[in-house]
Amino acid sequence: MTGMAKPIVMDLERKPNIHLATQAKGEALRAALVALRSGTGLAAEYLDALPVPHRRVERWKHTPVAGFWSTYEAPQVQTVLAAGCEACPVPGLHAYRMVFVNGTFDPAASDLPVHNGVQCAPISMSDSPPREAGDLEATEWFAALNQAFAIEGMRLHIKKGVVLDRPLLVHHHTHGPNSANFLRHEITVEANAQVQLIHWSTADSQASGMVNIMTHIEAATGSHVALDKVQDEAGKLHHLAFEQINQAQSTQVRVHTGTIQGQWVRNDLNFRLDGEGCDSVLNGFFLPSGNEFVDNHTTVDHCAANCTSSEQYQGILYGSSSGVFNGKVFVRPNAQQTNAYQQNGNILVTDKSKINAKPELEIYADDVKCSHGCTIGQFDEEALFYARSRGISEAEAKAMLVNAFIGDVLDGFAVPEVRMELEHRLATKHGWDTWNDTLEAG
Amino acid sequence: MAYDGKDKVLEEVTGKSYEFGFTTDIESDKAPPGLNEGIIRLISSKKEEPQWMLDWRLEAFAVWQKMEEPDWPHLQYKKPDYQAICYYAAPKQKKQLGSMDDVDPEMRKTMEKLGISLEEQKRLSGVAVDFVMDSVSVATSFKKKLGELGIIFCSMSEAVKEHPKLIRKYLGSVVPTKDNFFSALNAAVFTDGSFCYIPKGVRCPMELSTYFRINESGTGQFERTLVVADESSYVSYLEGCTAPQRDENQLHAAVVELVALDEAEIKYSTVQNWYPGDAEGKGGVFNFVTKRGICHRRSKISWTQVETGSAVTWKYPSCILKGDHSVGEFYSVAVTNNAQQADTGTKMIHLGKNTHSTIISKGISAGKSHNSYRGLVQIMPSADNARNFSQCDSLLMTDTSGAHTFPYIEVKNPTAKVEHEATTSKIGEDQIFYCLQRGIDEEQAISLIVNGYAKEVLNQLPMEFAVEAQKLLSISLEGSVG
Repeated sequence: MTGMAKPIVMDLERKPNIHLATQAKGEALRAALVALRSGTGLAAEYLDALPVPHRRVERWKHTPVAGFWSTYEAPQVQTVLAAGCEACPVPGLHAYRMVFVNGTFDPAASDLPVHNGVQCAPISMSDSPPREAGDLEATEWFAALNQAFAIEGMRLHIKKGVVLDRPLLVHHHTHGPNSANFLRHEITVEANAQVQLIHWSTADSQASGMVNIMTHIEAATGSHVALDKVQDEAGKLHHLAFEQINQAQSTQVRVHTGTIQGQWVRNDLNFRLDGEGCDSVLNGFFLPSGNEFVDNHTTVDHCAANCTSSEQYQGILYGSSSGVFNGKVFVRPNAQQTNAYQQNGNILVTDKSKINAKPELEIYADDVKCSHGCTIGQFDEEALFYARSRGISEAEAKAMLVNAFIGDVLDGFAVPEVRMELEHRLATKHGWDTWNDTLEAG
Repeated sequence: MAYDGKDKVLEEVTGKSYEFGFTTDIESDKAPPGLNEGIIRLISSKKEEPQWMLDWRLEAFAVWQKMEEPDWPHLQYKKPDYQAICYYAAPKQKKQLGSMDDVDPEMRKTMEKLGISLEEQKRLSGVAVDFVMDSVSVATSFKKKLGELGIIFCSMSEAVKEHPKLIRKYLGSVVPTKDNFFSALNAAVFTDGSFCYIPKGVRCPMELSTYFRINESGTGQFERTLVVADESSYVSYLEGCTAPQRDENQLHAAVVELVALDEAEIKYSTVQNWYPGDAEGKGGVFNFVTKRGICHRRSKISWTQVETGSAVTWKYPSCILKGDHSVGEFYSVAVTNNAQQADTGTKMIHLGKNTHSTIISKGISAGKSHNSYRGLVQIMPSADNARNFSQCDSLLMTDTSGAHTFPYIEVKNPTAKVEHEATTSKIGEDQIFYCLQRGIDEEQAISLIVNGYAKEVLNQLPMEFAVEAQKLLSISLEGSVG
């Protein structure tokens, strides 16, 4: 018994729990990928050291990974027209665009910003070597897999004080069966610069396989970054999205995640607040139906004093869908005056839907205000009755309640056109004819 | 910091030595250290147990050998060497006791120092005390009175001999031997404990109480408690612990099983004050306890705990809400100081329809201690209209202490309503300022605030226990708090 305070470690840095059958499947997948990509991924040190996730690994306790171990075909370069990515997926949005089809950059469909203070190019056309592996790659097997096999992605560098005049939309499209798409986006925002980013993921109904996207954002002093993530993928994809966001002093970063459709989605959003006076906002909603699975894992690591973080995730689960929310707020010993807020609300609509929530606080400083709340419930019977007694149909009444339930999150999306399109797509998926009327009325 | 006085006060707290650190000099009958089948056979034969009990122990031992000690809790400690522990120690005095006068005067002195003099308890509070010292029940009072109502309240070893039917039916029915590492160990080597059975429709007229005390150096304490409340009965059970000062770590791996049959109610209250180790974290008790209750139709189990002691605590009193309309409650105050570590919380497993559970957890961390709440609320598909409310608050007294919350919420039924809230904060400087303005000194002010903070839980304790709980709370944070 040493009596020492436990050193600050994330769950996975402890002795990993190896599950032999899963380990073998993971190794087989890795070998298949090495064969496909002719040699890449051989020098991946972390891949050797990490356990392949399975349910005895705490961060993957409720996240089924069995669907990953199928065979993968070599990615083919798709023509733009076949994929249907030639137009901006958000009507009326005037944005720069960078399009990746099955993990390959599509120059014809893209519209890159041309500006002195902005460097924006796909990694394959960039001179500098890829970033070294960060904490995520060192602790998560799937992130290490990305590090090993991603040869494409966006490299964005915004110079000091530059404010990008239009949002930059990064479109990931997946086409056809059994593809393994790895992308890594490296984003550096210098001091006092500002940028609005959109990550837009789509897939056609034949798509299957894996999409694995890693995004690193370095926000320097005083910069502002907004990232709107939209996931609307048909088909049977496994979608993994890792984000590592490092904030320097007095920065503001807002990430909003909307999951409209996706057979299997895991968002792994990680903030590290390194400088004083940071502000972080991370909001999201997920409305899975059918057999869909949506998992949102978030970590906010308060390393410096006087920062605020605010988090809200709202889920409505239809059909036999299942959801996971795991939010971790970590306050390090010297991060005094931290103000961290976390809220997770869930509605289970049907008998077969389920949710696993784990809002965590780990606090090592005393002068802090940290709170979290988590609720799981149903549509409010009284509210439905109120609406019904005034001649509003049940479907319409429920649409109104959904609107109210996720409204706060929707309103937070940085780009208004994205917000409108999200509402439109939600209404189409769930058959809410009255959705838009409701919105206008409300 | 605005209040320099507080640091001074906190230094005083850390300087406070353990008040109950004395050792009773009683000759004891001790088995050699180590754990093997031979030791288990020895324990079983010493206790004159029937064959089925020995078989059960050996089976548990076989399971335990294949298990690994869990490392998922948010705790850091040197794992005990299970082969260095002595698994059996019993006071040599063996003759039957007719009255209090027959009890060893040394042991009676110990009890008096603890403030649980049996005479006094008998006369004033009407509490029946089953006093366990180093695993063997020495004095059981009020037994006759309870016997008239058909209530069985005796030591586990006695129950094994005299009520084998009940024991075979319920022992291990709530916490199976292979449940976890420590429950398997306990099943293999438990030396004694308490058994309580309340017959149908009986309301136990007094609070039943057991005191545990680790006494012999280098011995582990492995209690087994089983409380069975038959249909429509009621019992309130109290458990309190103090342990004398020892330099090496002592292991306490107890199992508590509660069975509430239809429409029964069990209220189980604990005040835990094992020796927490000194200011540097040297010594102290490892408290690895499995507590679980099962609720049948329309029954209720309520756990209340005040945890102030132990160097390392690993404890999750849980409820399996199996019957429709059953209710589970968990109220907890956990105070950690100096180098103490606590990972505690509850599990509420909803299986029946219209089941309700409430969780109120208050953590207070001082010194360089770490205090974690870990809880599970699980609503299974069969549990229509289940309801849970959880509230976990943490109070940080110093900037070197930590407070952590790990709640798991798993819902598989859409009619469930589950709420969880947690907050972490320190004592507001404005609150202290308010008190100072009104002539209340800082020490009293902090005491006032902490008492108010823990009130919700302390109110749940039976009267007799609430006093002791407040006393322990004060000792744990004395100088600055309470």
